[in-house]
Amino acid sequence: MPARDHKDIWTSDTVVELTGVSKTFRQRKTSSRWQDVGRNLLRPEWLEIHALKDVDLTIRRGEIVAYAGPNGAGKSTTVKLLAGMLAPTSGTVRALGMDPVRERVKYVGRIGVVYGQRTELWWDQPVSATFEWKRVVWDVPRNRYDRMVNYVKELLGLGEFFDQLARSLSLGQRMRCDLGLALIHEPEILFLDEPTIGVDVLAKRNLIQIVKDLNEDRNLTVMVTSHDMSELEQLAGRIVLIDKGRIAFDGDFNRLRREFSDQRRLMIETSEGLAPKLEGAELLTSESGRHEYRFDGSNVTIVDLLAQAGRQCEIVDVETHQADIDEVIADIYKRWQGGTVPDDPAAVKT
Amino acid sequence: MLQILRAWRVQTYLDFLFLARDRRNSSFYMIADVILTVAGITGVLLLAERFGGIGAWNRPQIVFMLGFASLAMIMSQGLFGMNVLWISRRIGRGQLDHLLIQPRPLWKSLLTEGFIPVSMGPGLIPGIGLMAWSWNAVSIQTGPAWWAAFALNLVAAIAVITSFSYIWGSLAFWAPAGAEEISSSALRLISELKPFPLDGMGRTLKSGLLSIIPAGFIAWYPVGALLGLRTTDYALLFTPLAALIMSGLAAIVFNRGLAHYARTGSQRYLDFGHRR
Repeated sequence: MPARDHKDIWTSDTVVELTGVSKTFRQRKTSSRWQDVGRNLLRPEWLEIHALKDVDLTIRRGEIVAYAGPNGAGKSTTVKLLAGMLAPTSGTVRALGMDPVRERVKYVGRIGVVYGQRTELWWDQPVSATFEWKRVVWDVPRNRYDRMVNYVKELLGLGEFFDQLARSLSLGQRMRCDLGLALIHEPEILFLDEPTIGVDVLAKRNLIQIVKDLNEDRNLTVMVTSHDMSELEQLAGRIVLIDKGRIAFDGDFNRLRREFSDQRRLMIETSEGLAPKLEGAELLTSESGRHEYRFDGSNVTIVDLLAQAGRQCEIVDVETHQADIDEVIADIYKRWQGGTVPDDPAAVKT
Repeated sequence: MLQILRAWRVQTYLDFLFLARDRRNSSFYMIADVILTVAGITGVLLLAERFGGIGAWNRPQIVFMLGFASLAMIMSQGLFGMNVLWISRRIGRGQLDHLLIQPRPLWKSLLTEGFIPVSMGPGLIPGIGLMAWSWNAVSIQTGPAWWAAFALNLVAAIAVITSFSYIWGSLAFWAPAGAEEISSSALRLISELKPFPLDGMGRTLKSGLLSIIPAGFIAWYPVGALLGLRTTDYALLFTPLAALIMSGLAAIVFNRGLAHYARTGSQRYLDFGHRR
């Protein structure tokens, strides 16, 4: 693995710091009724969309942070603020000791941004041509460029399609190229906005492993947004959940499970076909003597459930496991839709 | 400056790769460009041919002006290709974000990212051909000073075209969907008006075509000055002055739009936001 050779690495341990950041957009409220046409044109009504509300967030060097939330929660707005594309309405955004908007030119030379839904590759050019273009625009010294091209080609397996046209690549290949391109100038922070959207399972698994390797090898700080929770759990040690512009949770995945919903599964195999009735557990499936239940570990214990089942029938086999992270998150989102977002995010913040 | 030259070099390389990849595609691409260039000036050329000139301008002078107009238009497209000249498309489609994550000032990105000299090459042929054809007949006293004035006025004409597109195109910052194609409309307007000599027009109309729609500064005014048809002192400096004023105005409007963009961002994404 090649060594880094940045001359002016910011020495602080904190690489991203959002303090009291709010971002408000104005959106025209348009009525589709005939009688409102005049008002729409002459005196339109405006809606204030609070994409972010008083967000405090700190990311330390070398962390991989998963940034998740339902659609419209404010994830992409945060990435845009941190990539220097948007200015906050209030509060301060600092990254690598700089203001991303005011010191954009200097700052973006030290970060990498990868969007799953858009590419930095020149569409009608071979992949290698975009890399060469990047070398010039980012002013990467030739020896460092050669070293990094070899590194990313090997790491991401770009060799086989490095001279192919970008438009002929599959989505997974394109994502690998975009990731490689984002690494050429050796960024200190990598922002990944839904990097695996539309990518197949194998390519997804590879990308996850690559990002983990990069983090370990180069102490690269990574902030990743995604809707795929199991992917985020594999990748990140810390998850920040955002909803309606507020940070609703900041901590690790196990704590998320415990604090929001200790959903567990219990599989009981009985000698008789009928499923026992268990108080505190919901029967999900029952087939050929195998019965699957869902229960909240904070309300009822496995011992209680097994005791109940034992009184009703003969137990042959038992399996238990935690609910899938996607299920936990879906449960949380459902609760939020019902309006039970914590008012004070600090209450659930580590 | 070195950074700009290096960026132009790499863009030339990309442009060459694009054209050299496929003989059939590149030849049709170039032929289409030549046809478009010729189509843009043919009407006035035929009028000049039929009447032996237009107003105070004789036929060779008209042909020289058409050559200059064609050069200015094609060079602006070659310097600011890839929708950099059609800036409302980039703004309206949310593609400005691609430029904002580059570690260089936005003006440098805009000055270099659309440089397509190889694609532009064939488009220059009609313009150079027309000027060469009329060269002897217009009997210009050339020397280094004249050539310097020619180059200065050509650059100024390109700046006028670009600024006009940017002034209108910046509206896309406020209305990304509605104004996405406004640069194309502005350029079409100015391109269709560029070959007409404005002599004999009323004062108001002429003033309008030298200010609000500055088509007169693309060829009519600078070529008149280069051919010695203007009686005003310092006529050769008028087009550069107009270019300076328009560039300043474009910079003001664009920067205000950019400040708005930093507040609002772009909500319009393409599924695959490719560069071209």
